[in-house]
Amino acid sequence: MNKEIGINQLKRRDFLRAGLVFGAGAAGLAAGYAAVPDAFARGVFAAKQNGMANDNVLVMIQLAGGNDGLRTLVPLTDPTLHDLRPKLAGPMVSQALPLTKDFGLNHNLGGIKSLWDQGKVAMVQGVGYPNPTFSHFESIRIWETGDPTRRQVDGWLGRTLAKAYDSNGHPLTGCACGATDVPGALRDLQATMTVIQNQKTFGFTGGSEVEAAVGALYKGTPGIYGALFDTAIATANDTIATLRTSSASYQPMADYSDKVQLVYSSKNQLAAALQLAAELIVTGTGVKLLHVTLGGFDTHYTELNRHDDLMGYLDSAVSAFYKDLAAHGKADKVLIATWSEFGRRPKENASGGTDHGAAAPLLIIGDPVKGGLYGAEPSLTSLDSTGNLKFAVDFRSVYQEILGGHLGADSNQILGASFDRVPFLKAPVAAL
Amino acid sequence: MALRAPEPVADTAPPVRKGITRRQALAAAVATGVGVGAVRLLGGTIQNLSHSGAASGTDWVSPLGRESARVMQLLRRTSFGYNQAQLDAALSDGYGKTVDRLLETKPAEPPVLAAAVTPGGRFGVPELQQWWVGHMLTTPTPFAERMTLFWHGHFTSDYRKTANNTFMYWQNLTWRRMGMTNLRSMLMDVTTDPAMLRYLDLATSTGQSPNENYSRELMELFTMGAGNYTEEDVRSSAKALAGWQQPQPDSTATVVVDKAKMVTQKLPVYSAQRSGIFNPRRAYKGTVTYLGHTGPLDTQGVLDAILAQKATAPFIAAKVAQHFVTSSPSSAYVARLGETFRRSQYDMKTLMRAVFTSPEFTADASYRALLKSPIEFMVHGARALGATNLSKLVVAAGSGMGQSLFDPPDVNGWPNNAAWISSNTVVERVNFVTLALAQTKGSLPSATDAARTHLDGVVGPQTANLLNQAPDERTRWFVTLASPEFQLK
Repeated sequence: MNKEIGINQLKRRDFLRAGLVFGAGAAGLAAGYAAVPDAFARGVFAAKQNGMANDNVLVMIQLAGGNDGLRTLVPLTDPTLHDLRPKLAGPMVSQALPLTKDFGLNHNLGGIKSLWDQGKVAMVQGVGYPNPTFSHFESIRIWETGDPTRRQVDGWLGRTLAKAYDSNGHPLTGCACGATDVPGALRDLQATMTVIQNQKTFGFTGGSEVEAAVGALYKGTPGIYGALFDTAIATANDTIATLRTSSASYQPMADYSDKVQLVYSSKNQLAAALQLAAELIVTGTGVKLLHVTLGGFDTHYTELNRHDDLMGYLDSAVSAFYKDLAAHGKADKVLIATWSEFGRRPKENASGGTDHGAAAPLLIIGDPVKGGLYGAEPSLTSLDSTGNLKFAVDFRSVYQEILGGHLGADSNQILGASFDRVPFLKAPVAAL
Repeated sequence: MALRAPEPVADTAPPVRKGITRRQALAAAVATGVGVGAVRLLGGTIQNLSHSGAASGTDWVSPLGRESARVMQLLRRTSFGYNQAQLDAALSDGYGKTVDRLLETKPAEPPVLAAAVTPGGRFGVPELQQWWVGHMLTTPTPFAERMTLFWHGHFTSDYRKTANNTFMYWQNLTWRRMGMTNLRSMLMDVTTDPAMLRYLDLATSTGQSPNENYSRELMELFTMGAGNYTEEDVRSSAKALAGWQQPQPDSTATVVVDKAKMVTQKLPVYSAQRSGIFNPRRAYKGTVTYLGHTGPLDTQGVLDAILAQKATAPFIAAKVAQHFVTSSPSSAYVARLGETFRRSQYDMKTLMRAVFTSPEFTADASYRALLKSPIEFMVHGARALGATNLSKLVVAAGSGMGQSLFDPPDVNGWPNNAAWISSNTVVERVNFVTLALAQTKGSLPSATDAARTHLDGVVGPQTANLLNQAPDERTRWFVTLASPEFQLK
């Protein structure tokens, strides 16, 4: 992994050495920048927690690449599993952490198992959609937009941000933590959202002079990318101000570590991303929807150790996140949910891995959850024509429960239809 | 601090076409008190605004009526920009001759990465990244590097999964050598490339128990696009392609990896660059039905079947158009390019010539219609400053902008254009400029000329204001390279 050597560690001193000086006029222009007539730029982080219709928060964790559902929630008593997966089935069944007589969690999900024991974990089984695609990118788009017909271009969370306001008329705000680009689920031109790869280094090298000059430079930018540029800079400046305040008042109350054993190194620093999410939540920045990603789930090859390691990474990061939120008294507000573009083929391949699959379970975690198994157990003997698990629960049923029951948003408006209930929330905030 | 009186930093705008008067063109600029006619009101002629809901209402005034502007745009899109000498040479050659030179000059090979050819030599990914960026900054044939980067994003592999830096190094050499050849031979090069064999698991696939990873991505991402094949086709070509294995080393070298504990490791030694080896014992013996034909099928048969599909030529042409011409090429344009490509029997030079000489490439609507990728932005910036020693900074800074070489986000490579813009990446782009200037000692090229040579003299009112107010050359360079204008190509 290439370290970000030197970036942003050079601060004011080095900036001045670079000999950059801006005239007084730049500051004058920058003052005008605050008046950018740009509703969604100005609205970033403007929404204060107290003004929210409800101050519930959603954190979506993307398990990118296609997470193997059968190794996440393991069928313990189905003999077919051993026929389909002669290499992979033995250890995953014998080591699993039993939840019921028939199902157990991956043995590296010990932290999540203890949350299950406290009734704070819902596993929704067999989640998918009709006529599944086995393309990563098509299926990611379907999950991100919430539209299997592939007509919608905006993300389901982006549409939520764009269409929902708190009781004071503040726009809801979103944040992608640990990323450099806008995740598709949050994408919507009218949405207020920010992207922060690393909060420790986020900011302008050279400090406020550069910030002011750049604020002046990116104003009324012409061309098709103009508004995107201006909004990104305005959002960045607001985010810098927010992080300055939030990092001063936040003390993590759990051990977040990205030093984990993995077969292949990870592009994503999941623990650091969740720690940033915790900081934004506990310091009351008004952020409502957060998105983080852990990649590496495309386990066509040597899946045994790779997937176990990823489960362990997920478990330690989520456990720290929950502990931190609980210690700050925020656990009752936050719902954590995983998603992945598809599960994996029940039958293993020659490489000791599995190819692209279809339906898979999702994890829903947090104090608002009514723990237990939901959906329907997928049959290993009645596979579809491609040899994959048939879905039992439309993924939009899960979205609907989150939108209406947790965020108090109009799920029918956002999803364009209503779906069967999956009642995994203790006390839905709106009648569904 | 006293400000200098505003001085003109830009050419006056050329006559504006398409029914927009010069007065209208100047209106936006004049309204802000700046005497630079560099923007015009967005007219009804611009149908294809990808972000119309958020458009600022003005557009750049295209200078592409002038040949010099067309040449500069060509170099920005094909060659990571230019330094003054390269620009002068291209301007003196003119557009047509510059296109010829780009297409006909043999790629300059990068210097040998010593650790990769020394028995027992080891090198890390940053070393590999800096080696390539160093070559981008100094090569006499930057178009070859631009194409290598294009193919690195298209036929992509990452060092994490590949877990073999020598193979990643070889892949880079192969992609450069094949970059402007023929898709038919290229697809065989790609299929048997050792890094690719590991990255998409073909090296561990067998006819008896095929791994679908390469088979699917070969059709979905490399040649045809989703929707043009069935799941049965994926399974069939997975069988037909099975049998390739990574090359075996000639010998091993024992190296000490930890002196204190005397830990040694045996490393493979290859006397030369190799491709994959076909092992018939691991291949599929039966017949398959693939893309409508049933029979025995080998790797070349799979590739030829793909090249016979109608979808293949337009798929490649669309990707090229999105990276070199416009983020949303019309279907008619893509069809035309695809037809030229197919008729040439998939000759890359023919395709790229058709792109660079198409009216769409130099149309006013294509002006600043593309966003530089982080690598393009940084390499152009460093070369504009005459700073060829910034490869370490370029490599380190790329991550925050979303582009680390040999480490694409996923098997679809890097996104393009609007996807490069976020609140994180714009800050990191500005920070690169600050640090690049801090690390560039000595005298800089003229910054006053830079607005003309690197921004075509077409700047928005804010950029013009800041350039006019900048008290010195370094600050003027900062404004030039950090400006929105410089992010575009």
